[in-house]
Amino acid sequence: MIPAAFPPWARVEALGASMPEFVSFQDEPLQMRSGTVGKTGFLRLGFEHRTGQTILATLERRAPYMVQRALHCDEEMPGLAYVFLITTTGCVLQGDRLALDVTLGPRAQAHLTSQSATKIHAMDANYAAQSQTITLADDAYLEFLPDPVIPHRRARFLSDTQISVAPSATLLFSEIIQPGRKHHHPDERFGATVLSISTSVVRPDGRSLFAEKLVIEPRRYVMRQTGVMDSFDVFANVILCAPKDKAERIHERMGADVNFAESLAFGACHLPNDAGLIFKVLGRETAQVKAKVREFWEIVRQEIIGAALPPRYLWR
Amino acid sequence: MIIANDGDDASETAALLTRALQFGDSMFPIGGFSFSSGLESAIQKRVVIDAATLRAFTRTAIEQAARGDGIALIAAHRAAVVGDVDALTRIDSQVYARKLSDEARTMSIRMGKKFTEIGVEVVGAPLLRAWRHRIETSVTPGCYPIALAVNFAAQGLPARQAFVVHQYGVAATILGAALRLMKLSHIETQKILYELSGQSEGMYVTAAAARLSDMAGFAPLTEILAAVHTRAHVRLFMS
Repeated sequence: MIPAAFPPWARVEALGASMPEFVSFQDEPLQMRSGTVGKTGFLRLGFEHRTGQTILATLERRAPYMVQRALHCDEEMPGLAYVFLITTTGCVLQGDRLALDVTLGPRAQAHLTSQSATKIHAMDANYAAQSQTITLADDAYLEFLPDPVIPHRRARFLSDTQISVAPSATLLFSEIIQPGRKHHHPDERFGATVLSISTSVVRPDGRSLFAEKLVIEPRRYVMRQTGVMDSFDVFANVILCAPKDKAERIHERMGADVNFAESLAFGACHLPNDAGLIFKVLGRETAQVKAKVREFWEIVRQEIIGAALPPRYLWR
Repeated sequence: MIIANDGDDASETAALLTRALQFGDSMFPIGGFSFSSGLESAIQKRVVIDAATLRAFTRTAIEQAARGDGIALIAAHRAAVVGDVDALTRIDSQVYARKLSDEARTMSIRMGKKFTEIGVEVVGAPLLRAWRHRIETSVTPGCYPIALAVNFAAQGLPARQAFVVHQYGVAATILGAALRLMKLSHIETQKILYELSGQSEGMYVTAAAARLSDMAGFAPLTEILAAVHTRAHVRLFMS
């Protein structure tokens, strides 16, 4: 049971009430009120290393969030716990509050992904919000690579991710954001009202490593402006927290370029306080951006684990 | 005879204006001329190709500054006015933690350190000495917007002026580099600077109402250009 006084999504609720970009969206939907049963998904996943493999030792869930079980389906890393995050509603709606809490114990290795793209529907009242906490103990290894987020026209979405990572642990955390359903409607490209994506990373002792807050408000700031999205449509933000020497080797192997002929731009920078790297990709099409993220993922896995990637899924 | 336009504190106003001009000058010797804030890569990669794209690129930079560093600068000015060096240290570390490219960090802490040192030599206020001590003893990184806020507060110059000087500096750095990197006239860069400066007041009002945790931004191509620049073989500028 989750105690009613401090539900896991209380934090994100408080953020939504205080962030300036959500000031005008505090009204309640005419349908179900925000944060009610059925609109408050919760997942707590605890991974632990046992002889030879990582198991999903803790699993708490509340609809519309769901996880069935950990699979050990990656032949290149047989001990890796592979988990699909499932949302039974199929999309994110106004008033939704989602909370995800992932913990990896010492030496645990896990891969988290979603079943499909996360579609954030159009909103005429309130907003949708998700809060994520990720905690990695010594020598833990987590690949958190969900499918893209597709914000529909007039979507309002808040995401807040708090990460605690031990100096010897590795976190690969990717977010791919599409401009909308780009071929669906002319207004759909950058038609979202607000996307607010915050990430902050600390060491287990609480020392702050870095923070990033991306606020996308196409009506206030021109998305096509030089230096912002220019002629690109799809954006990937990939955070790699890894030990300094390994991050350095990965940085050396991953190039950087802006290529208008191929409609692709990418590059990695060193994060402050020797936290690791931040890798950004821009492309015209989602497939190009996913391929570049996969290339980065492949280098990370080779350098950190010494393993190859599994073959690409036919439909992913 | 006193003319209404002069005001009673005209002599003080003139003195303060002179100080703001001196410390806000793009030629102030803190090394701003050695950075292009990504413009060098933007030109190499044909992101910036003419006056129009230069204007848009510069506009992106000042918008990002107003939404990020500018908020911290105003918060730091408030802390500096009451002499709260611990609060300044906390604000400084948050600015540093939000600089996600090596070159942006290098630029901010080099200019911040130099600006603080010159402030100590020229102005000499106790707050400036205390801040320099924190930088020298590596207690704090000493980012440029914080240095600017501390200096202006120590001289009794208002936060609004510090903010405007910071915004002006962001634009002037890029436009100064543009004159050396592009085929462009001084008149074109001055027109861009004049037009963009007109937006400072509105940006100040928004930034002054924001909390430190509201620092945000979104300019992925600029960030990718910073990554491209660190790997470039031929570089005239440090960013």
